[in-house]
Amino acid sequence: MLFLKTDENGNPAGTTTEDSNITFWRAKRRWARVGIVYLVMLVFAVLFVGPLLFAAFSSLKINPLEYPPSLRIAELNPVNWVTAARLGNSGSGNYWSGGFAPGGDIPFDIQYFIPDGVEQQTPEIQVPRRRPGAGLGAVRAIEFAADHAEIHDLRVSDTEIGRHEVEDVERAGRFVTWSFRITYAGDGPKIDRVPVDILAAPQHYYISSTLPASRLERRGRVVSFVDIAPGIGRYVFRNYARLFDEARSVTTGQPLFFAWTRNSFFVSVVRVFTNLLFASMAGYALARYHFRGKFLVFLVLLFSQMVPAQVTFISNYLLLRDGLFGLSNLFGRTSLLNSLWGVIIAGAGSGAAMIEAGKVFIMKQFFETISRDVEEAALIDGANQWQRYSRVVLPIARPALGAVAILTFQGAWNEFFWPFIVLTSPEEVKTLPIGLMSFRQTYGAAGDWGLILSGAILSAIPVIILFVVFQKYFIHGVSFGGSKG
Amino acid sequence: MKNSLREQLGAWLFLSPFLLTLAVFFVYSTGRAFYFSFTDYNMFSEPQWVGFANYISLFQQSLFLRALQNTVLFSLIVTVVQCFLALVMATVLNQKIRGLGFFRATYYMPSIASSVVITLIFLWMYQRRGLINYLWTEGRRHAPIIVFFLVTVSIIQILQVVIERRRGFPARWVDPALTVMSILIGTAVTAGAWVFGFIAVRDLPPVDFTWLQTRMRIPESPEFLRVPVPLIAIMIQNIFTTIPTLMIMYLTALQDVPKSLYEAAEIDGAGATQRFLNITIPSVRPVTFLVVTLSLIGTLQMFDQVAIFGDAVPLESVITLAYFVYNRMFPGAQLPQVGIASAAAIFLALFTLSLVLIQRLFIKSEVS
Repeated sequence: MLFLKTDENGNPAGTTTEDSNITFWRAKRRWARVGIVYLVMLVFAVLFVGPLLFAAFSSLKINPLEYPPSLRIAELNPVNWVTAARLGNSGSGNYWSGGFAPGGDIPFDIQYFIPDGVEQQTPEIQVPRRRPGAGLGAVRAIEFAADHAEIHDLRVSDTEIGRHEVEDVERAGRFVTWSFRITYAGDGPKIDRVPVDILAAPQHYYISSTLPASRLERRGRVVSFVDIAPGIGRYVFRNYARLFDEARSVTTGQPLFFAWTRNSFFVSVVRVFTNLLFASMAGYALARYHFRGKFLVFLVLLFSQMVPAQVTFISNYLLLRDGLFGLSNLFGRTSLLNSLWGVIIAGAGSGAAMIEAGKVFIMKQFFETISRDVEEAALIDGANQWQRYSRVVLPIARPALGAVAILTFQGAWNEFFWPFIVLTSPEEVKTLPIGLMSFRQTYGAAGDWGLILSGAILSAIPVIILFVVFQKYFIHGVSFGGSKG
Repeated sequence: MKNSLREQLGAWLFLSPFLLTLAVFFVYSTGRAFYFSFTDYNMFSEPQWVGFANYISLFQQSLFLRALQNTVLFSLIVTVVQCFLALVMATVLNQKIRGLGFFRATYYMPSIASSVVITLIFLWMYQRRGLINYLWTEGRRHAPIIVFFLVTVSIIQILQVVIERRRGFPARWVDPALTVMSILIGTAVTAGAWVFGFIAVRDLPPVDFTWLQTRMRIPESPEFLRVPVPLIAIMIQNIFTTIPTLMIMYLTALQDVPKSLYEAAEIDGAGATQRFLNITIPSVRPVTFLVVTLSLIGTLQMFDQVAIFGDAVPLESVITLAYFVYNRMFPGAQLPQVGIASAAAIFLALFTLSLVLIQRLFIKSEVS
């Protein structure tokens, strides 16, 4: 209150009114500060999650590189969902995944604005033989809708006089709607998608269509649709469906993304179990027993955390190549390169991926905090070393084991360097991060970001779920002093 | 617990799987890398002993020198920026309010996803007509409005503080209640000026800054500070993903600093900056050591982003020491140069170790 020496009339301050004034004044500041802090936190949240959310939304777009980038996404408009479901049903009787099957009969409308003085010409409708996607998609023989589609009943269904802004000038003219049907002629296989290109005469300005156009080509003269019978699922999650449809293994024809996901799960789950078992055993021994050479072991453990993976991967790569002292024969192969077991057994950085030094350290730290009393009691009851460890100590260690399991899974799922060294070919032997990188090479060069983004988003979902459920382990993991990964 | 010979043997058994893998995949492999670094070896022939020739040859290779320069610039700039920003953010967020857990979890999102996921998303944003150039364009277009808003808010704030002080209240220049008022009034005034056409969005062409396929370096001089633009792109991405992790470490530490310390300083008339410099920074020094160490190790060994950027950027612009090692092990069409790769790897290890030790001495001496 030092500041309030006098009131407005110059009288000495310190009366009750003045005191309550300044109390209220201070309270106001506290509330304002809380408000500002919330605002700042909100700004940070937008900053940190914004790019990820924006990428997630853009992955639904046909062209995620659309400029200007916009969050008004046609794929998220419920009106289009209803239309897509209806069209999907008329193409193949399937509301969800659409397609084109015998008996399919797809009605479609397109509206143009034709200024006065321009001769009205019927647009050309075409079902192109277009291969979806680049690179990895090209290996598979696919059926084309073009071979079975017939276009019927192309006619003007509606004409309306009106005005429309064309190249910044409002002009008088008419809105003309053409309708047509695409039917499946005869018998044949079910086809995934029906692409359509519509070529209009000059100065016919595209206004709208049953489903919004995928893209405009040749200065707006060609209106292109990637699929006019998508069904609601394929319409909204088009890029996600492509992820499994297009990128397939050259040899087996199996979707690569599926193989990569399975490989990632295999490596991560096996590593979780081996680390739980071996790291807790090692941590227990280091925490509980005194023996000659213990200090040396501990020193090497710490040192291993400091040596970069680039030092150890050289020899470990050569070991795997040469079959790891004949161990590879157990897996029926001469080399452990391009093998998931190679990724698990060896490793770069601190020792082997199946027993990480960092996890041993976490377990050791934990075992040092728990009391020895229970073990002593078990010892008196005649339990041997293994029984004391497995029956007495492990059940108490559940929180630490949980942390090890979750951190190991996340680390293994996200690991890049070591799998990148070991898994090079064929494509289907890779884990998700490495596989996504080859997506970058094949599709990124073609500017096809829909597939890359949807792959990236989908591959992040398991760890995001894990994070949402077991948040506290992650935050604690940070304070264990481990960097990410 | 007494340790009989039997028990000791048991302990070794418990340890044996770990020791075996540690011996083969760490001790042996580190030793082998050390040995290879003194040999000429291409993975197929027998290694030939060449002494220090590989180490000498390293410093004659322009690609290695470029990798070294990139690594040092990357590591120093990123470490300084992200540690500082993380501390500032943690200070702002160090409040006892509801919902902090939710926000913390949100900030942590970018760091739980894999480097590949984040890098792919950033590559997408760095495209010529991508999100980053778009935001840049919009910022330039709206510059008159932003500047008008900031100036208006500052003027209103100054006026309010002067009035409050004349009324005898101890208002500071960044008084929160007055700031809220200033922002509200400033927003209204700016909106009014915009609607009535005193200020307008500028009509500018879209920014087409090339982030990736470019050999441009910033600044033009001096030579040792010239950072390639694609490396700056990786720096921004790295800072973005690491700040939340570091911030949480700082936040944990800050919550142990007694509130009374700040209150006492406030009563003594210390401003926000003074409190930050004299209370916050000294009290989190141990965490700073940890944060700087982790940040240094992480940035000096940066590999993933370089590999994932791949042929989307010129190699010399982004190559780091870690990637140089990989590049010599698997140089595409040429024969592998395991000796050179090993020498570079050993150099990287020693370099990391010495930088960590140096910063440790530095921070230690500040404590005493």
